Amino acid sequence: MPEELAIRIEDLSIKYKINIDTKKTLKNAVMRASKGEKVRTRIVEAVKHLTLDVPHGSVLGIVGANGAGKSTLMRAIAGILPPTEGQITVNGKISTLLALGVGFNPALSGRDNIILGGLASGMTRAEIEEKTEEIADFAALPDGFIDMPVRTYSSGMYGRVAFSVAVNMTPDILLLDEALSAGDASFKEKSFNRMRELCAEARTIVIVSHALQTVNDLCDSAIWMHKGNMLAKGKPEAIVDQYLKFLDVGTLPSNLEDM
Amino acid sequence: MANPKTNFAPAIQVFKPHRASLPPLIPYLKEFWRRRAFAIELSRFADKAEYLDSKLGKVWLVMNPLLLAFVYFLLVTVIRGGSTQKTGLSTLAHILIGLFTFYFASNSINGGALSITAGGRLILNQAFPRALLPLSSSISAFWQFLPTLPVYVLVVVIGKVFFPHTQIPGLRLSYLWAPFIILCVGITGYGMGLLFATMNVYFRDTNKLLSYITRIWLYSSPVLWRPEILHGWHKIFLYINPLGPSLAATSDVWIEGRTPSLGMLVGSVVWALLAVLIGGYFFVSRERDFAVRI
Repeated sequence: MPEELAIRIEDLSIKYKINIDTKKTLKNAVMRASKGEKVRTRIVEAVKHLTLDVPHGSVLGIVGANGAGKSTLMRAIAGILPPTEGQITVNGKISTLLALGVGFNPALSGRDNIILGGLASGMTRAEIEEKTEEIADFAALPDGFIDMPVRTYSSGMYGRVAFSVAVNMTPDILLLDEALSAGDASFKEKSFNRMRELCAEARTIVIVSHALQTVNDLCDSAIWMHKGNMLAKGKPEAIVDQYLKFLDVGTLPSNLEDM
Repeated sequence: MANPKTNFAPAIQVFKPHRASLPPLIPYLKEFWRRRAFAIELSRFADKAEYLDSKLGKVWLVMNPLLLAFVYFLLVTVIRGGSTQKTGLSTLAHILIGLFTFYFASNSINGGALSITAGGRLILNQAFPRALLPLSSSISAFWQFLPTLPVYVLVVVIGKVFFPHTQIPGLRLSYLWAPFIILCVGITGYGMGLLFATMNVYFRDTNKLLSYITRIWLYSSPVLWRPEILHGWHKIFLYINPLGPSLAATSDVWIEGRTPSLGMLVGSVVWALLAVLIGGYFFVSRERDFAVRI
């Protein structure tokens, strides 16, 4: 793979088999076998023959309607879901924020969860201990909340802690799925600035977002996915325009006001 | 460019279609080792979260097997029609240490079996060697097992004061074998935890089945009965049981105060290796499929 590429995706297809009928239990399997029945399944093609190169230091936005395969693609890049066909080559350390608060334990304090979240995403104990204060400061929770159990947090506060862990990890490649919607306006601005910093440090970022203004502002290229296919790739403004036209809503302010 | 901190993990990772086969093992094991702190802390934090509000919670961890041991002791002595002072305490002590050790393995297996299906969000959103989750359960089982050892010693010491004619030995050099046997039990438990964790992903009722397996396993292990009652070819029942040799060795060390026989030691090691190799193979060769199936 060429040196300047962070991610190379070659002819990637991902298919799932979904079990429609019953729960997957040993009991059901035996019952079905005794009756000679077959399991009714459905194949879902989440990503179809996608080829894409993402150079180091670029910020790629992915837009598309629900069920377009965006999250599946992100999970495949992170190495969580195996490709069904094709291959993905990744050069660098990946940090993911695919869902908020993964690995968090609601009974533990925010500080404990920062350590747990950091370890879950691959930091060493020394690295995360060194950064805990910085991450806690970045989350900037109201007085004393950082030492209270996470279950007492509002969802905004929860999101702030989770987001802070992911963006303070100095990854080479950062994968964000709908993460910028965490927190209030001031935190959004802060996270936006942090994203810009990360961009400036020449890190590679892939963002999935329905907040199209974010894609316009942060990304230097974008792709539009629909039902597993990549329909278009290019400058973010052009892609967002096409996507909006497709949605047949034009550039209504409601799509753009949410950063 | 690749961060220098990624020295351990391969800087370039290639994700290819998954077939039920092993991933490159050396990078996998390196990554597993690099991230061991995650398994340790996950277990520590899960423990912390569970007993945050109840200080008595931890006492129950010890009380539960202790009371169970007394119940089994009563049962065994009633069935046998009473016991003398000489054998009574050693029967109790044998049940105690056997049950504590058995629970260490079975907690590790049960916890491990559930670790993948219960860790769904983590598995869907983070990439890491999945074998760390059952490891975390095994570590938890070990921390639950450890405080039961002083309880055993306490019961024996008190028992020896009241029943001076008991057979149970005092301090012996044979106790030095105990950590080795505990390690074998731990590895066997982890390996079988890996196996059942994989099964539980494919068949979600495995853990229900497991509770029956555990019970039958307990009765067929030398916990409620002495390994010495098996003679001749019957001894095979000790060897075909994954915990048989290590439980027999436990009884040798703690109750008889002697070095376990070579057969039992080799049996313990062989079962530990078999469990971790077979369980590890099933688990690691299928773990890339877990995210799809959860």
